[in-house]
Parts: sequence; structure tokens; C-alpha cells
Amino acid sequence: MKPPPFRYLRPSGEDEVLQLLAEHGDEAKVLAGGQSLVPLLNFRLARPAVLIDLAMVDQLRGVRRDDGHLVIGAMTRQREAETSAEVAAAAPLIPQALGWVGHLQIRNRGTVGGSIAHADPAAELTAVALALDAEMVVRSATGERVLAATDFFEGPFTTALAPDELLTEVRFGVLEGARTAFLELARRSGDFAMAGVAAVNTGSAGTPDVRLAAIGVGGSATRLHAAEDAVRGRDPTDEVLREAGEAASGAVDPPTDVHADSEYRKELLGVLVRRALRQVA
Amino acid sequence: MSLRARVLDVDRTLVERPAFAGALVPRVEDDRLLRGEGRFVADVAAPGALECVMVRSQVAHARIRSVDLSAARAAPGVVLAVTVEDLTGISSFPHFHTWAPEVPRWPLAKDRVRHVGQAIAAIVADDRYLAEDAAESVTPELEELPPVGSLDAALAEDAPLVYEAWGHNKMVEFGGEDPAVSRSLAERTVVEGRFSMPRHFAVPLETRCVLAEFRDGRFTIRSTSQIPHIARTTIAAALGVPETTVRVIAPDIGGGFGGKAAVYPEEVLMAWLARHLDRPVRYVEDRAEHMVAASHARENVHEVTVAVDEAGRIEALRARIAYDVGTQQIFPLTLTPSLTGWAVMTGAYRIEHADSTIVNAVTTKTPSGAYRGFGVGEAMFATERIVERAARAVGVDPIEARRAMLLRPEDLPWTTPTGVRIDSGSHLEAFDRCVELTRAALAWTRPRDEAARVGMGVATYLEPTVPTWFGTTGHWSANDAATVSVDPGGGVNVAVGVQTTGQGVETMVASVVAGELGVPLDDVRVVRGDTDLTPYGLGAWGSRTAAVSAGAVALAAREVKAKALRIAAHLLEADPADLVAEAGRIHVRGSAAPSLSWADVGRTATVRVVDLPSGEDPGLEATATYDPPFIEHTADEQGRMNACATYANATHGAVVEVDVETGVIDIRAYVVVHDCGTVLHPQIVEGQVHGAVAQGIGGALFESMPYGEDAQPLATTFMDYLLPGAPEIPTITVDHVETPAEGTPYGVKGVGEGGVVGPAPAIANAVCDALREWDVWIDTLPMSPAAIRRAIREAGG
Repeated sequence: MKPPPFRYLRPSGEDEVLQLLAEHGDEAKVLAGGQSLVPLLNFRLARPAVLIDLAMVDQLRGVRRDDGHLVIGAMTRQREAETSAEVAAAAPLIPQALGWVGHLQIRNRGTVGGSIAHADPAAELTAVALALDAEMVVRSATGERVLAATDFFEGPFTTALAPDELLTEVRFGVLEGARTAFLELARRSGDFAMAGVAAVNTGSAGTPDVRLAAIGVGGSATRLHAAEDAVRGRDPTDEVLREAGEAASGAVDPPTDVHADSEYRKELLGVLVRRALRQVA
Repeated sequence: MSLRARVLDVDRTLVERPAFAGALVPRVEDDRLLRGEGRFVADVAAPGALECVMVRSQVAHARIRSVDLSAARAAPGVVLAVTVEDLTGISSFPHFHTWAPEVPRWPLAKDRVRHVGQAIAAIVADDRYLAEDAAESVTPELEELPPVGSLDAALAEDAPLVYEAWGHNKMVEFGGEDPAVSRSLAERTVVEGRFSMPRHFAVPLETRCVLAEFRDGRFTIRSTSQIPHIARTTIAAALGVPETTVRVIAPDIGGGFGGKAAVYPEEVLMAWLARHLDRPVRYVEDRAEHMVAASHARENVHEVTVAVDEAGRIEALRARIAYDVGTQQIFPLTLTPSLTGWAVMTGAYRIEHADSTIVNAVTTKTPSGAYRGFGVGEAMFATERIVERAARAVGVDPIEARRAMLLRPEDLPWTTPTGVRIDSGSHLEAFDRCVELTRAALAWTRPRDEAARVGMGVATYLEPTVPTWFGTTGHWSANDAATVSVDPGGGVNVAVGVQTTGQGVETMVASVVAGELGVPLDDVRVVRGDTDLTPYGLGAWGSRTAAVSAGAVALAAREVKAKALRIAAHLLEADPADLVAEAGRIHVRGSAAPSLSWADVGRTATVRVVDLPSGEDPGLEATATYDPPFIEHTADEQGRMNACATYANATHGAVVEVDVETGVIDIRAYVVVHDCGTVLHPQIVEGQVHGAVAQGIGGALFESMPYGEDAQPLATTFMDYLLPGAPEIPTITVDHVETPAEGTPYGVKGVGEGGVVGPAPAIANAVCDALREWDVWIDTLPMSPAAIRRAIREAGG
């Protein structure tokens, strides 16, 4: 479990990073918090010729409000975002979700942008990005693109990022007064979820208007539109919530692995959707 | 054969409870280990050492056509690359069994690979990175053979053969029917169950590591071993060199749990490489290798049929036991968990009749080895589940059925139908106490919401301790040894043949010496884990260490003390019989002055020998070997034997909350009432119980090493093989009952393993109680959320 040889580069500015990406392209891999990439290197599953460490690029770090958005720099540590008063005020769903990410030590190193760019099918922040209509700011030496979250995630560990592009910041939608919840279930504390759901209710009492996004039940995070429709504008009775849960279960086709079979994950998602809706409706 | 008759007389003077028992003294090794000053094999500095990595098989079963090492040999930093063909002078591990077929066990695969993870070639390089780079260039040319991926596949009529010479895949098959069991089954209510566990394995924090050097014609092999002397004997045999040329050092060890109670191929291989290269060679197993190359365990099926009377008492028990033991390319062969578990399968119950058939089948999977509990966890999962079903079948509360069956003091000693002689215990008392504590915990446990159900369960069992290893090894048995010596400064050195993997053996040994000699704990130095410095001993396994080392240490210390008192008597002009040794001084009873220090006596014995009484030889040192009593080393014609000197007992109680919608089990309370005889050091005993319960909860709820039918392992990282972390372990309440053993030193019984046995049945019983509205039945592990939901669905919930 030692990585094959690679060239290690540690640029100090964003422009320099983009230049290096332009130069090395798909030969290179950027290193953010390293919580996924370093194990992949050690297992020799990732074999970049060049490793570009972003640790010294301070421009990529930080939290700010901008034009109805909460903007989080890609290199902001997950724990910083989790404990930031500004994040909690603008998007309480983010700290709710980050509490489920690995363990404290992992969140101290792991970054917001790293998790989103890695696009693990069970990554909490990918569901948050969908539920809050996040925009991904993506730059290369030749320019900048802004991608909607729905266009960014393409499948398991796959995004719309080109080899010479860097995710620089994530712009989360700020939904004033929304009630939010994040629920998931893993085998153990800190494990990847067998299923999880982010719930946001922007409706008023008795007439919910919710967005639901699920993780762990497919190739990438998914909005649960059928379940959202099942509760929209309806009095959230037990019966309505149960219908929404069933709609969620029916909308996904989760994988089977050593932790849980597909049938269980479907059923579990329904339970979590029902419970999350009870919290936000 | 006379082995069976080797039942020794008990040395009564050794059995008494010592004054130091129960004292709360800090562990002597903790300061060093907690400051990070422990020295493990991977830490040992060895100038010029090379690193070795293995090329391991990715396929389960294949004929090796050729292994091209030319690219590896040409790679940067590589010093040597070898296959088994290069290892001149090496032999397969010795075979001592008369009752099991020989398994070829070479340091690297010879002709065939038989499991994923088996080492095919070894690469030695300047560092591990370069060695791994070179290892990638090796693609052995393999002709794949049909894999044998499961017990059913191994035992099928036309199964591919793991060892063609055998003609079948049955490593061993024992047992038969007892007519008394058949009669009872014909007359009584019959209840059946089929219980299984997946593969579990020990997973110590420290993986396996070996550092070998060859200098002045001798090998020094540092190894993460629970059994350094046995390793020395075995490595010497495999290398074909005299045992005097091999020194095995097992320094600080980061946990064993049975996984290091084997001699591994890498230990022989590093020795050969160090001699061949005339440089130190180190192997540090990485975690990915550990998952497939260190020994596995369990993967068993226990089919149980019992005859139950109207009071819920089991009169007879019949078991069909089958284990998938992988390739069994392990030393020693590990067929005996099935037998050890069977030996205590009737538990602490007055069950009159029992019989079994036991089969151990080989497969093309990682070999099984020792694992904490050594078969007892598997057996008692079956027993403590079938007891519930049997009681309910006749309308009796399972707790009352157990009470009606449990041994009472007047029943002891009790010989079980399996031949186990239960010398002592608090079987009913500990059970009642645990039930009381668990019921109290249940009473204050309220379900958190409407999806939650709460229930309780108990499990009671025997822990066989201080065993013979003859059945497992066909060679070694139960004895151990110690040397106690006093230096000119009055310091006491004690060298023991037992080993430690971090569980506090130094503290226990030092306490025995300090107690026997009446010296402060700080004046005692314990030496262990070095075959050049310690008398021959069998190491740390089988919950034996406290009893056998206390026996040997106490015998040696008493000899030293007797001589010390003779010398002191001469110097004080007193009668030895009037002298006492306490608080580091020796004086006449009832008068603190004049007195002598141990330095006075030590100096006289070793340096100023001119002051010795006439006729007294110089020196103040004694070596003693202790052989525990009551042990039968082989079975009788019916397969019965008493393999252990004594049996601890315990009852575990669990209160669980089950979320019926998600299947999640939350252990709200966990109670252990434990009796390991005399408790020498309460903190060490509780630590053993806590750790073993955590390990047991891991097996009950999380751990599983599944294989596909193609014999590919499916949980090869810690993302898939789930060990419990601190959040998964509840607060554990431990209560002690102390019933001294009849014949062991100080009346101690072993404590290292038993705690692992209780969690699976106690939690399963509690979950079934919580889910009683659906009559859910659990007979396998792990009790994952998905498995619990499936059980609820199948029960109509």
C-alpha cells in the first residue's frame, strides 16, 4: 500500500494551478484534503504522474455571501464550514449534512470542493448541492464556466469537470426561512450511508413545498421529484408522508453490496424521506 | 497411550488465594506504552535493513506454470526476487498430527496457489516503495483450476480437490451417534435449529511483521508472535538448522487475539533471505495483505437437535458441526475450534446426553487459525439460541428453563457428556445476578419513538481455560516455565516463557513475584518474549497465561525465597523458620530489627559468597516448570476429553432497542457477570472483559468476510470489513463473582477469551424478545439492519 512514483507540485496561487492543469491535463490530479485521493494512491487505483497540492492556495478558501448565494471556496475545510456561523445562518442544511461526513478528523482535513469534485455516490454534500440548487464555479487557464449542480454530477465519481479544469467555489442557494433536515443511515458512525436524504421546505405551515435529494441509492445524488410532488401543497399527514416515502422508494434503483441489498436501501430511503419530511413539514 | 493418564496431583500450597489478589496497582507496562515508548517490530532500528514485499495471488486456485521475475530483478532498488524454487534447503513446516492429513506448507506457493492472497514470490529492495513498484511487474503465468468457495462446494460429490492426494476435501471428520441421545429424542419433545457464523478474523491493530538478521552463524528473528518458543522450534525445523542457532524475539506486540498464535511462512522466509543476502530483511505486512494473508476464523454451521422435557430442560443434544477452514496452510493446523466448542456446548447445564458429528472441510480460501474464544463463540451461539426455542416450545420462560438446568454448587465437580470436568463455578449465582441487573436495566429503558421496540436477552456459558495444545498441534501441550533470580543489588529478575500482546502479563508476573518474595513491585523486572533469555514456554493463547505463569513463577520464587531465608538466617544468626520477608526486608517474625535487605542477601549469594553458610551453593536463582492439573491430552474412544485445567463461567445480558422500520439495533444496556476464579488484578480482568465484549459485539452486529462462489474475498478493506468503533460499543457493566478454581495456582481461571462468546447470543435473544410480536428468529450473523429488516419481513412484519 505505497503509491507508485509521482511528481509533487505545490503551487501557491490559483493561476499557477490552472497553468499546471493546462500543462499536465489528465496526467495530473489535484490534491485537496486527501481523504479519498490518498487511499486511492496507496491502493494504486489512482496513478497520476503529477500531483498538484492545493494546500497553499489560500484564494480557494473561505465563506462569503454574494448576491443571494452562500459562496464556499473549494478548499474550505469541511469542519470550517460545519462550524461557520455565516454558513449556519444562510444554509443550515450544510452543517446538518456535514455532521454526517466521516469523523471529526476526516472533516478537519476534507474540503467542501474536494468532496463535491470527487462525487462519491454517498457524499452528503452532493445531495446538499442538489437540494440548494448550487452552482459550481469551474475555471481553467482559458476561462470560467458556471454549472448547475444537476449538470455537474454525471455518475459515480464522474463530473463535468474537464482534465484542465478546477472547481474553485460552490455557490449554494440561500433560502430564507426554509426548514431543512439531513438524515442518513450507515452501518457504523461515520461510514458511507446506505441511504440518506436532504430535505428543504420553503412552503408555509400546512402547505409544504419541499425539495428532496438522496444519496447512497444510485450512481450519484438524485432529486426525488415524485416524492416532492406527493407532499407539495398537501397537509403533511402520516398518510401523505407515507405516500411520499413510497414515491421515493419507487424512484430509485440502488446497488447491492456487502452492507445492504438493493431492496433494503429502497425501503430505507422511504423511511428516511418520511422522517425527514416530518421534521421539515 | 499414557498421555490420557497425565492428570497431575494438585499442589495444594499453590492454590491458596494470595494476599496481593485484588489490589489496584497501576499496570507496570502502561507508562511506557502510553508514552509511545513501546518498541514494536516495525520500529526496531536495523542498519542496512532491506524491505521485502510479496507478490500475492489474485486468483483462488491455479497451477503455477511459471513466474518471470526478470523485470522485477531489473527494477530500481531491487536486490533479490525469489520464488520457492530459489529457497534452497527449505522444508515444508513439520507435520505432527497422527489424526489429520499432512498439508504442504511452504514459505511461498509451490506448484499451486490455493487462495487469494497466497504469496507466490518475494521481492527484496532498498525500500518498500521500490519493492512494490517491482512487484507490480510480476505477472505469474497461472493455469486456473476450479475454485472451492464454500462448505457446500467442498463437500459436494464431484467437488474439485484442494489437495488431490487426499481424494476428498475433508480435513477431519469425527463423531457418531450415542444411542442414549437417540432414545431421548424419540421420547421427548424435539426442537431443531441451524446456526451459522460468517468468517471473522482477529484484526489486531498491528499487522504481522518480521525482521530477520543473520550474524555469527545465528539467526535473530524479531516477529509479532504470541508463541516465540514454538516459532523458534518450527522455524529451525523449516530451515533445517539446529534450534540453538535461532533466536526469536517478540518485542511489544500490538494485539494478537489468536491471529498471531501461528508460525507464518514469512518468518521462515525472512530468515532465509537474511542469511542469503547477509543483510537484515524486514517484512511489514500492510493492511490489504493482512485481510487475506493473516489467519481467518469461524465460518461454521451448527445444526442442533435437542430433546426437551416439560420444564424446558434439555435432556439430550445432538449436533452436526461443519467448518470451512480454508486451505489449512497454517501452523499449527487449526481444526480444533470445532472440537473445543463442542466440548463445552452443553454449557453449564445438567444435560445428560450429547453426541455430534464434526467435519472440517478445506476450501480455496485463506486458512483458518486461532481466534479469541476458539470455537466456543460459535457453539454457544447455537446452544443459547436453541435453549430459547426449546423452552418456548414447551411453554416455559427461557430464563426459568435455564435456571432449572444450571449447575448448582452441590453438582460439582460435574463431568459433561462431552468429557469436560467442571471443577468449580458460580453458574446459577452468576446467572441470577446477571438476570437481576439486566431486568433492572430493562425497567428503565423506554422506546425512543413509535418505531422502536425494546427487549432483553441473556446468554450463559463456560470459558474453557488453561488448555492443552496437544489436540491442536500434535506436539506441544500445556506446561510453561519461569526463572527467578536475585541480583547483587537486591533486584529481582523474572524470565517467563509466556508472552504478552499488550494484555498486562508483565504486571501479573511482577505481582506474583512481589507477592511471593515480599518485595515492592518496582524491584521486579520481567523479561519475556526472547527465546535467548527465557525458559521454554508455550506463549499466550487459550486463556492460560495467568495460571501457567503464576504456577511457574510462584514455584521458582518459593525456591529462591527458601534459599534467601537460609542465607539470611545465617547472617542474622536466627532460625530460617522464624524469618519473614515483607516490604523488601527480611527479619525475625515480630521484630523489625535487625533486618536484612534483599541486596544484603543477593550480594552474599552472588558476590560475597565467603559469607554463605557452609554447604550453601552460591547463586540465588531458580527455574521451575509448571504443568497444570486435570488435563487429558487426547480423547477417549468416544471422543471425550477434558482438555482444560479449569472452566470460567459468565452470563451476559443485553437490553436492546430495535428500530423496526430500519432494522437498526441499539444496545441500550450491557451487563456481564463473570467468574474467573480468584481475580489477581481487577483492572486487567475488566479490560479483558470489556475488550472481548467489544470484539463480540463486532462479530454480532458488523463483521463478515464473505467470499463469492469463485472464492474471491468480498471484504478486503476496512470499508467493507466493519470493526466496531467507540460509538458502536455501549457502556458495559461488569460484576465479578470469585469462585476459586479447584487446582490452578491461586485458584485463578483464564479470562482472556470468554467475553467474546456472550454478545452474539445475548443480543440475538434480546432482539427476538424486542420483536416478539412478529416471532422473529435469528440464527446467523451479522445482525445488520438489512438482515433484521429481512427477518421482520419474513416473519410477516
